[in-house]
Amino acid sequence: MLFKDQVDFVRQHLKKNRLRVFTTILATTMGCAFLIVLASIGFGLQGSMERGILTDQTVTEIEVYGDPQKKIDVDAIRKMDNVRAVVEKTNAQLSANVKFEERTNSVPVNMTDFDNEEKIGSKLSEGRLPQNSDEIVVGYHFAENLLSKAELKEQEKLYEESAENDTTSTKQAKKLGYKESLVGKTISVKLQDYDNDKAINKELTFKVVGVSEKPAKDWLIKNTILFSHELKGEFYNIYKASVKDSKNIKAEKDMFYPEIKVHATNLEAVKGVIAKLKDKGLSVYSVTEQLDDINVIFLAFKVGLIFVGTIAVLIASIGIFNTMTMAVTERTREIGVMKAIGASPKLIQRLFLMESAWIGILGTAIAIVISYGISFLSNWLLPIIIDMATDSKQFQEADIVFSHIPWQLILVASAISIGVALLSGWRPARKATKIDVIQALRQEL
Amino acid sequence: MIEIKNVSHTFAIGKKGKEKKVPVLKDLSFGIARGEIVSIVGKSGSGKSTLLNTIAGFMAPEQGSIVVNGQETASMNEVTHAQFRLENFGFIFQNFQLMPGLTALENVELPLKIKGIPSAKRKVKVKELLQQVGLENVSDHYPNELSGGQQQRVSIARALVTNPPILLADEPTGSLDSETEQDILLLIQSLNKALNLTFVIITHDEEVANIAHRKFRMHDGELVKEVL
Repeated sequence: MLFKDQVDFVRQHLKKNRLRVFTTILATTMGCAFLIVLASIGFGLQGSMERGILTDQTVTEIEVYGDPQKKIDVDAIRKMDNVRAVVEKTNAQLSANVKFEERTNSVPVNMTDFDNEEKIGSKLSEGRLPQNSDEIVVGYHFAENLLSKAELKEQEKLYEESAENDTTSTKQAKKLGYKESLVGKTISVKLQDYDNDKAINKELTFKVVGVSEKPAKDWLIKNTILFSHELKGEFYNIYKASVKDSKNIKAEKDMFYPEIKVHATNLEAVKGVIAKLKDKGLSVYSVTEQLDDINVIFLAFKVGLIFVGTIAVLIASIGIFNTMTMAVTERTREIGVMKAIGASPKLIQRLFLMESAWIGILGTAIAIVISYGISFLSNWLLPIIIDMATDSKQFQEADIVFSHIPWQLILVASAISIGVALLSGWRPARKATKIDVIQALRQEL
Repeated sequence: MIEIKNVSHTFAIGKKGKEKKVPVLKDLSFGIARGEIVSIVGKSGSGKSTLLNTIAGFMAPEQGSIVVNGQETASMNEVTHAQFRLENFGFIFQNFQLMPGLTALENVELPLKIKGIPSAKRKVKVKELLQQVGLENVSDHYPNELSGGQQQRVSIARALVTNPPILLADEPTGSLDSETEQDILLLIQSLNKALNLTFVIITHDEEVANIAHRKFRMHDGELVKEVL
């Protein structure tokens, strides 16, 4: 029998029992849609978590920690294969007390190698990266924390007044600070040892040439200054000169803590670079390693969800089994006639299997469409409902995806659903092939 | 055309474990030539339908051989036998055995569909046959919209559609009135003459049996030739 005729034959029979076929397809649709939607929660939450991790971090970035007593050989790391750049940031045990016009601000002293920052493509919201050691980059929130004496008092007052409501106080505090661009302006800085109450008298001046980019997370405040790493010696000398008792002078290694970030050439190279760094006895942290751990957990979670969903599909398959068994029983005489006039048992089996496959395919196709609809609706409505319940706008602003349906999930769900449909149709189809022609032809019309 | 040699068969009757073996075909041997109409008459339970079923391959005899068109069919497996039936046999049943969900045209078309003949070719052949049996005007009617005689004509057209050399008819007029019976018998005779078809007719009706070139009587599983 030609394939087209087989399809026609199956369609004709499905049409005969519309209601029964419809309810069976409905059960298959519900089972498959349940499977897809359930598993999509795993995919959605995993995606949201991955995005949360990656938003503020570069995937090719590897943080390196060494023995505090030994200096990390940065040059050797730079020479490693697949290393694009190594950025050595230094955090000092010093704060920088800033004065600009009549405004002041106090920030930790952070130093970096601007040449390498340029190599890794560090982004700024304004201006450029420094080219000399008397040029600096200030953090995105630096200007709004540059407060006059009156503003400082006002801020303190605001904090006291709205101690119970942080959101309001922060919003109002945002109105304070320096409103214009600091790029091109010169600020004066006095260093202060963390262990000392007073700032060192020596005043340094720096030109602001850039402002760092806005942090990806709203709650992150970047009130910082990035100095050139070339100033390390000068800062240490200023500190040393300020300490009266030479016994109390901290060693340089205790004053400055290095923070080394290795940037691999691409995502694929990250694992190789991490392995080499570990071989050198260094401790590393990379977002990719964190993602690997998360992926393993979510894989188990998703497999669990798919398993639960598959149970729903299996329950639906009982419907297919019943429908097909009924079909075989009802059509015993017809099957007998077909066998009598020359239809082979294989053809009979194929026709019944096609019928159950058709129920499976149609049910799955409808389930896919419905699942996308449910997924879209849940991503749109759930944040609104949760925010309404919690009286906030956290979820709507956080861009959390509750449900995501990747094509791989569609493939797996379709394979399970259609596979189960075929399996449930298998026994009735076999039963059809075993129908005795003589007995079948004796059946009353 | 058909050679039946020493065919015997028994049925097991009774409860499982306590079955009795009842012989239904007893060492039958006879031949049917091409273009011949052979009728087998007998009372109910004489074994005539069992004989037809063994010839058709619906069941295999316990003993003996059946050779059709030079091919031993008694030992064929189910798949081979199905294909063999499609090529060699046409069937006319007492209660027509038409598919209730298919029109007259679609019923006649069914064996060609099973054979894998393309639609355009099928339609030409089916229309030609429906015309031959005088049903061209009711081709789109469903079986329940046709009279008994018309249904049997559809059944004959379906049996002829694959151009089989042999037609096996089991009580072909059993469900028809005497007038319609005559029409069907005339149609069988004219098809036999026009297409040189071989007919094996199983019947309990002497009048039907008498249209055959040779007539056998079956009694308790044994076959006796009768002079017409």
